[in-house]
Amino acid sequence: MGGLQKKKYESGSATNYISRNKARKKLCLSLADFRRLCILKGVYPHEPKHKKKVNKGSTAQRTFYLLKDIRFLLHEPIVGKFREYKIFVRKLRKAYGKAEWGGVERLRDNKPAYKLDHIVKERYPTFIDALRDVDDALSMCFLFSTFARTGKCHVQTIQLCRRLSVEWMNYIVTSRSLKKVFLSIKGIYYQAEVLGQTITWLVPYQFAHDHPTDVDYRVMATFTEFYTTLLGFVNFRLYQTLNLLYPPKLDVKGETELKAEFEEDYAMDSESYLEKLSALSASLARVVSSAEEEEAEMDYFPVEGEDMEKMEARVKAQHEQDKQKKLFEGLKFFLNREVPRESLAFILRCFGAQVSWDKSLCIGSTYDAEDETITHHIVDRPNMDKQYMNRYYIQPQWVFDSVNAKMLLPVEDYFLGVTLPPHLSPFVEEKEGDYVPPEKLKLLALQRGERPVEEDEEDDEEEEEEEDDDEEEEEDDDEEAEEEAKLKEMEEKKSQGKALPVKVTPGKVKSENRHRLEQEEKAEEKRLAIMMMKKRDKYLYDKIMFGKKRHVRETNKMVAKRKALDEASKADRKKKKQKKQ
Amino acid sequence: MAAARRHRRVAASQPGFIPLKSDLDGKSLSIGRRKRVNKNKKKNWNKYSDINDVEEFLDDVRLQERATGGLIADKTDESLFFVDTGTKESVLEPASSEETAKKSKPLRIDLILQPTSNVAPPKDILAHQRPNAKKERRIAQKIQKLTDMGVLPRRKRPQKVPVKEKPIISKDPDRTFYDIWSAGSPETADPYYLEQTKKKLVKRPEKMNEKPSLLPAVEVIAPGGSYNPDFLSHQALLLEAHEVEVTKLKAETKLARKLAVNKKEFATQETTFKEQIEGLVEEGEEPENETEGPEAVADADEDEAVGPTAQQEKKTEKQRKREKDERIKELQKKAARQMIDSRQQLFKLRSIETELKKREQKTKMRQIKRKTQQEAQKTLPRRLGKLKFQAPDLDVQLSDELAGSLRTLKPEGSVLKDRFKSLQKRNLIEPRERAKFKRKHKLKYVEKRDFKEIK
Repeated sequence: MGGLQKKKYESGSATNYISRNKARKKLCLSLADFRRLCILKGVYPHEPKHKKKVNKGSTAQRTFYLLKDIRFLLHEPIVGKFREYKIFVRKLRKAYGKAEWGGVERLRDNKPAYKLDHIVKERYPTFIDALRDVDDALSMCFLFSTFARTGKCHVQTIQLCRRLSVEWMNYIVTSRSLKKVFLSIKGIYYQAEVLGQTITWLVPYQFAHDHPTDVDYRVMATFTEFYTTLLGFVNFRLYQTLNLLYPPKLDVKGETELKAEFEEDYAMDSESYLEKLSALSASLARVVSSAEEEEAEMDYFPVEGEDMEKMEARVKAQHEQDKQKKLFEGLKFFLNREVPRESLAFILRCFGAQVSWDKSLCIGSTYDAEDETITHHIVDRPNMDKQYMNRYYIQPQWVFDSVNAKMLLPVEDYFLGVTLPPHLSPFVEEKEGDYVPPEKLKLLALQRGERPVEEDEEDDEEEEEEEDDDEEEEEDDDEEAEEEAKLKEMEEKKSQGKALPVKVTPGKVKSENRHRLEQEEKAEEKRLAIMMMKKRDKYLYDKIMFGKKRHVRETNKMVAKRKALDEASKADRKKKKQKKQ
Repeated sequence: MAAARRHRRVAASQPGFIPLKSDLDGKSLSIGRRKRVNKNKKKNWNKYSDINDVEEFLDDVRLQERATGGLIADKTDESLFFVDTGTKESVLEPASSEETAKKSKPLRIDLILQPTSNVAPPKDILAHQRPNAKKERRIAQKIQKLTDMGVLPRRKRPQKVPVKEKPIISKDPDRTFYDIWSAGSPETADPYYLEQTKKKLVKRPEKMNEKPSLLPAVEVIAPGGSYNPDFLSHQALLLEAHEVEVTKLKAETKLARKLAVNKKEFATQETTFKEQIEGLVEEGEEPENETEGPEAVADADEDEAVGPTAQQEKKTEKQRKREKDERIKELQKKAARQMIDSRQQLFKLRSIETELKKREQKTKMRQIKRKTQQEAQKTLPRRLGKLKFQAPDLDVQLSDELAGSLRTLKPEGSVLKDRFKSLQKRNLIEPRERAKFKRKHKLKYVEKRDFKEIK
């Protein structure tokens, strides 16, 4: 008993938080400056658990910050710069008002400026920390670099964003670390694995901007300001890890190749180098010029606490990765003028292909469309007038789908004028029992190397169609595909015929039996276990099983729907054909 | 100066000295009765000796010197007087000389700035001083020594122009970057010193490095958002968007329904009339009630007055005793009951045990539930300000809007808005409304003259 009576709101959560306005006053900053400072320093508002206590009894909705955070902000040297800037603006306005042009110039020369290097270091003490948070920075930089230079934000910011994003793309190309691509209606999602970190970023389509009004541009510009600094330092470090020069330089071979005659017409001298870099068609110069990158041989010794199986899996995964990195190696692509050049060039170069485009389309084209060694010509129009015999004319989706499938998909589905198969999201990972679209199933089968089986099924369908209507007007490519498929079928039959006489072994039946017995035994054990279960556990078990069954039922329903749809569409097609006839 | 002073003193003592001002005779001063004071104190000498005459005389001397350049008494007669021989005849001259005078006449401002005094300015004393050869030699030696050492005299030193470095601007597109994460040489200086001189920044609070939300920075759109989607996933996305729209519509209709005017509650002629005569007619209609009313009120008043009285009658001794006994008995009964109950619990051990287990399980369940709820909260947008977070509209293309190829694709939604909303969703910034433009003063309508003329 005894002691002084405690006063309300003098300890506990009421003193741990501070409202935004109070914080602003404590720092002597305007609201806009305060907001900018918070974004730069990574101080975010908090929602207290007991709002009423924190708000000293009032229930009004307020924005709260942690008091410790605000106290920390008091030490920030940038705060002083903000105040200086405020004074600078005032002086400048005064000089303008008095028409003192000399004074205006002098003030402009001494404009207070700040840099954010120390904040980057403070927020991300290690390089990996920064790399983990680079998703946001990338998305923002790519977004800002597509903005028109119309005064929605500073032109300098746009230029810097463009430079940094080009640097990043060049790094990804050189390190060949791209993993997934997804063309969505919003933009293009990329995923890469950089130094063990999975990094996802979103790139808007070019020229797809309407500026929404309900977005605070100032806030976005502030975020971008910080993120450009971060991305610059990250880029520098990444270039260092690959022994590349920073700022990036094209290697000597590339530089001589790219000397275009009408370079001056294309871009100003100050911009042409960046443009050449952004063309992505040449490789970058290294600090120590080495003819071929030595591949780091993986050590095949098991790491401590890892058994042989795991190690084997690891080695296998590594092999697969290496294979994926060389997906397009040796292929020569030509981009027609209507396809999105930058994204395609980026992806193709990421997997080792050679790319070129029309000279008038962009700087940095390395060979013409007439080149005989071109293997793939990417076209996005219904037909081409002049076609070469020795190259595939394919639609751009083939590139994206091949990257996601980690293999070169059959080109037949992507020929000119063919209805494309759906572009599936590579970011969806189906669990067991989920509904998997048939296209994905086909793809998985292809990846496993079961190509002929799939083809057979398709052939069957096609054969049915052929039975229904004798005269089918199909395009050349389809016929070719069919022929190929037929040939393969015949080969298979032959091989089967050869194999037949060898395969007569009495032991095989027995082994099957044993297997079956084992299975039966297992099932019996399971049934017994279920019978022995406690009532409570049984209840839970039943519940889980019910859930699973429901899931299966739903997926079955989806499959049935799909089947019905396919059939309906097929019937429609037939009707149309009949009508045509 | 000393000579001049002596000269002055000598002049003043001479009987022929003519003061410039006539009232400076000395005798014109009114002489009152002399006050007697002790003269053995220096203070009194200063206080009571009259030096006015001396001062006035000296002032006069100074005035003469200023005005004429010396004492008038010393001047020759020729310099003071002249013989008036009438006016010279120079009538014609002024007409021609006026122009020349105009040209040669100095400016008035220059005249004002001319020295008015005729006393020559004092000469520089130092100028007459003989240069000290020894000192000069010593200075020269020192300079020679310094120049030999490489230190130039200040005059000959090249002036340091402070070269202003252009500070690195974070927005500069050509700015350079360096390895910020390389391990530099560790600071060996006193940490307190570094902190006080702001060479070392204050340590960042650990809690600030936590991310405010567990959501990923870039959320990939659902598979139905592909530019060339699989049929079913596209349908799934459409369904989702549809459900959002339905809930919105429901809320809207609900609001409309609640705010709709009820036609039954419209005022009719009858109701308006009733309202108008309310309180007027009722008195006349029910006279019986009126008579009853006051009585009832009176009854109520009486009841209130009865109420519980503050002082009840005193209890007798007997009553007290009985009450006390009753109380004790009750307590005893309670204690006995408790004893029995606790003894009985021995036999109920099993059931108690099960009960405890049940309770424990319940708390565990609750704990788990609360944990999962907290986990789920971590990915939700928090309430950070006046406004709640509002999820952006789902970006969806209808089946007939879907483009067959990449060339004909029309992008949906804005990436900028997507990023902005993502920042809000991850609790990095609080949701805000755009500040509305508020007009401070009313607009005034003025008809311009041109406009009037056209009319």
